[in-house]
Amino acid sequence: MNLKELYQEIILEHGKNPRNLRKTEGFNKDAKGNNPLCGDNVHVYLKLNGQKIVEDASFEGSGCAISMASASIMTDLIKGKNEHEAKEIVEDFLGMIKENPELKSEYLSEDEKTKLMCLSGVKQYPMRVKCATLSWHTMVSAFDEKTEEVKTEN
Amino acid sequence: MNIDQIKKEFPIFDEKIQNNDLVYLDSANSSQKPKVVVDRINEFYTKQFSNVGRSVHYLAVAATNLYENTRTSVQKYINAKDKNEIVFTKGATEALNLVANTLGQSYLQEGDEVLITELEHHSNYVPWHFLRKSKNIKINFAEINDEGEITLEEIEKKITPKTKLISITHLSNVTGAILPVKEITQLAHSKGIIVVVDGCQGAPHLRLDMQDLDCDFYAISCHKMYGPTGLGVLYGKKKWLEELPPYQGGGGMINEVKKDRISYGELPNKYEAGTMATAQVIAFDQSIKFLESIGIENVMKHEADLVNYGQELLQKNNSVKLVGNPKNKGGVLSFTIEGVHPHDIATILDEDGVAIRAGHHCCQILHDKLNIPASARASVGIYNTREDLDQLNESINNCKKIFNL
Repeated sequence: MNLKELYQEIILEHGKNPRNLRKTEGFNKDAKGNNPLCGDNVHVYLKLNGQKIVEDASFEGSGCAISMASASIMTDLIKGKNEHEAKEIVEDFLGMIKENPELKSEYLSEDEKTKLMCLSGVKQYPMRVKCATLSWHTMVSAFDEKTEEVKTEN
Repeated sequence: MNIDQIKKEFPIFDEKIQNNDLVYLDSANSSQKPKVVVDRINEFYTKQFSNVGRSVHYLAVAATNLYENTRTSVQKYINAKDKNEIVFTKGATEALNLVANTLGQSYLQEGDEVLITELEHHSNYVPWHFLRKSKNIKINFAEINDEGEITLEEIEKKITPKTKLISITHLSNVTGAILPVKEITQLAHSKGIIVVVDGCQGAPHLRLDMQDLDCDFYAISCHKMYGPTGLGVLYGKKKWLEELPPYQGGGGMINEVKKDRISYGELPNKYEAGTMATAQVIAFDQSIKFLESIGIENVMKHEADLVNYGQELLQKNNSVKLVGNPKNKGGVLSFTIEGVHPHDIATILDEDGVAIRAGHHCCQILHDKLNIPASARASVGIYNTREDLDQLNESINNCKKIFNL
């Protein structure tokens, strides 16, 4: 266990000053997620343009430093990606958080990979994995236009 | 009273938890178990096991006697009038569900009002919500004051001519407030209102005297009382338990079963359908003996000292804010740190071997009222020391350091 790995500067910084913590004006996709065990909740908003590219992504909600930082980093790097690319990135991220040692997606720049790898510290904290993944599951739900609230237990 | 000696009776404190000595501050969630309780479960399964109340062979009779001995011990411990007022359940949650379900079947009518409080654990709200759905009863909430207390005056204010039942916690698992249950019961009874008490936090930490409290029902969680999991106790006044219908149907709770009619067994069998948590019940006798050997007055004195000490420490700690400040308070210290989410607090404290709970503690209504999504909670038991609270404070300081506060 290593607290320093979990609470890296970049996580603390994003946790304290989350990017895109707002509601996108004119959003056309959104979904809600919550973690019933701890009461954390998130609402993800996406605005896709005519070419189905994410023009803007944002979120509202409250939670721990890990969940806020994760949603902050996610909404930042998903801008400019299309649905297919975004979903592949989600898969890649979830795989990395659970078991994979690194990120593989060709849609991620080296800089984006470095940022996301800052969240890899949660691997050692099984109870905290859901904090990092809630906003990602919720974004997929927004793409798929699911009306049910996402509930993340893992 | 020698706390170091008492602590030695709990084998878990011999363990290293992630290379740390365990500082266990999560007893409001569940207490640790003394060796006598653990050993009793082992001994029963190893040397004495049989199902109870069914067969006539030697082991069955002996096991039945042991099982019933615990019932008598509980009766004496809580000063109930009659042994048959003690019903074993799978937990306090089931005890409260039993009360709500059976009162819903045969006592509460559409339009009746149930008064609970904003302090209630979900297990003393959701069962009444079921009746709100199925029987159209109304649920009213007594509100907390600024200190996180529920006063007798507030209860009185919320009673209406339609109030049929008041269901309240004895001791809040978040603010630590101890409710004036005896006075509330007197008031309620003067108006013909039934009183149900969620005693989960009360039972391990307060002196229990059912005849003095005079409430109609009292729910106990055994695993918070240095006892095994999977076991609760429902105390109910005999007149109620006799009058109300059974809760679950099955073996053990019947008198006679025919194709066209069924009659039910006498108390307490009527409410103990199926094979019960036999080993747990038998081991729970040791929990009671353990508490009796220390003496509840000593438990209360020790825990009051701990909570006063901890409260002073945390009040002096910048950016730590205590949740509630009741005058009459049990061993619970809930707090928030400005700028650090409770889950982050709990993870960082855990690294030092300090086990606390973070979240809404099954009290979402209360956290909504306080306008906080969650809180961190340190709660004490008989094995805790002032040093544990010093460590808590030190780990909180480490947490502040990590978050650059």
